[in-house]
Amino acid sequence: MTIYESDLPGVGKKFEVELEDGERLVIVTHNTGKREVYLKANPDADGDKLFEVSDRLARKIGTILEGAYFQPVQAEAVETMLSDDTYLEWYNVAESAEIAGQTLEEADIRDRTGVSVIAIQRGDDLISPPTPETVLQVGDTLVVIGEREECAEFETLLGDEV
Amino acid sequence: MATAESTALIDVGILFGAVALAGLVANRINQSVIPFYILVGMLLGDYVLGSIDFPALLGTELVPHGAELALADTDFVHVSAEIGIVLLLFFLGLEFNLDRLIASKERIGKAGAVDLAINFGVGLLLGYALFGSFLAAFLTAGIVYISSSAIITKSLIDLGWIANDESDAMLGTLVFEDLFIAVYLAVATALVLGGGAVGEALGQIGVAVGFILVLLLLVYLGTEWFQRSLETDSHEFVVLRALGITVLISGIALSIGVSEAVAAFFVGMAFSATEHVHDLENLLEPLRDAFAAIFFFWIGLSTDPSLFLGVAGLIAVAAVATTPTKLLSGYLGGRIYDLSERRSVRVGLGMTTRGEFSLIIASLALSGAGTALPEPIAEDVYAFAVGYVLVMSVVGTTLMQYSSAIESVVVPRLEAGIGSTSPSSDD
Repeated sequence: MTIYESDLPGVGKKFEVELEDGERLVIVTHNTGKREVYLKANPDADGDKLFEVSDRLARKIGTILEGAYFQPVQAEAVETMLSDDTYLEWYNVAESAEIAGQTLEEADIRDRTGVSVIAIQRGDDLISPPTPETVLQVGDTLVVIGEREECAEFETLLGDEV
Repeated sequence: MATAESTALIDVGILFGAVALAGLVANRINQSVIPFYILVGMLLGDYVLGSIDFPALLGTELVPHGAELALADTDFVHVSAEIGIVLLLFFLGLEFNLDRLIASKERIGKAGAVDLAINFGVGLLLGYALFGSFLAAFLTAGIVYISSSAIITKSLIDLGWIANDESDAMLGTLVFEDLFIAVYLAVATALVLGGGAVGEALGQIGVAVGFILVLLLLVYLGTEWFQRSLETDSHEFVVLRALGITVLISGIALSIGVSEAVAAFFVGMAFSATEHVHDLENLLEPLRDAFAAIFFFWIGLSTDPSLFLGVAGLIAVAAVATTPTKLLSGYLGGRIYDLSERRSVRVGLGMTTRGEFSLIIASLALSGAGTALPEPIAEDVYAFAVGYVLVMSVVGTTLMQYSSAIESVVVPRLEAGIGSTSPSSDD
């Protein structure tokens, strides 16, 4: 893949990206920030204008193309970052989980993994905060808080392979 | 409406309204705005509106005379027009990158030299034949040589050619022309303000060269200062400081007989070395376009269309002579850039447009009326330049719009080797 860059005095910059089959994507970055995107069927063809976008929108599109804008979301665990390394996560207690049927005291989650269970959703009920005597049941949704590694550790307790 | 002080605001309002309307019309019919700004200025000025006697025409005294309605060439219009010139050249300097020029100096240099030799050369001959004096010929050469950066760049973007290879050759040649015009204006201003006498002109050229050397020194040593001069978070302050520096230096230049446009060009170049280029471009561009519109309007305002009758022949001769020269030099420039026949023809079609810089030279000619140039000749050169720009801006934009039809006729012949010396013979 070759990218050609050239100056357009008074206008901005032009980038030509070689695509497959000799096609070229031409991106004109105006001094005003506006981007125009053209497609050329071959290096000698005239450019067909595909679209033009503002600087802001171009950056958004760019990060999406780069794969950096959206984090892939796992269906099982919804993660929310509270600070640099602290996550609020939701986990389902499956039948395979070794802690199913144990009280929180017996499961000893805090000491074994470092995460804290701050709430349990059971059907329509919300148990918050749970007590040491609360029994963990299959089908519960546990809301836990902890660092990334601690959360990963906790997932293994649930029987989910990380 | 010209005299009463209470109507000044109305006059300026009419000016802006008329220019805005002219821009709208030009846009609707896919033409460049510049000729329309000039035309509307001409229509609203003393020479057209001012000469219409409405009461006599309509048979009632209730209607004011045209002379009362016409817009006058007030100080506001004149100074705004000059700020327009200053900002146009400031932007040239701002976007002028010496590194860029050096990086592709060979191709830009060759294509630019061909362009200069052919068009400036023909302009000199033509000017001498038409006006019979060296200074008039020198001014004519500048007028027919310099293509319009503003119109051509805008057409390139509108037509989508900006993504194609021909844009490199066209913009490269424009850079060469812009650099040449900065030097040319310095010399031409010195010649005109020097009053035509060789001794005085030489003195003026000395002053101009000295001033430019000082500015160059400022550009090279003052980057730090220019950088710091705009260090602020406020858009307001950036605009005010940039205008304060640019307009003041340009004014000082003019006061000692050096082209204000050239001074503005160097100030622009000084700012181009700072980190503020982007901000300046964004913030000052609308300002430049507004003042440039007043400049074109003012050109129209100061033009007596009846003078066109006297120079119509000259304009026709010049248009017929210099359309082919630009086609040829553009085509050769395209070949220097290793472009195909088709794209080279396009470069030629695109470069025929003349515009803002020809008009700057025209206004310079007018300022030399009665001193450097005999008044009738100065007026003729001025009217010639305005008419010529009107014709060439329309011809140029039209040639670009119909390029595919022209290409389909011309290119096969070129490729067959017929007329390989000149593409102009096919037009």
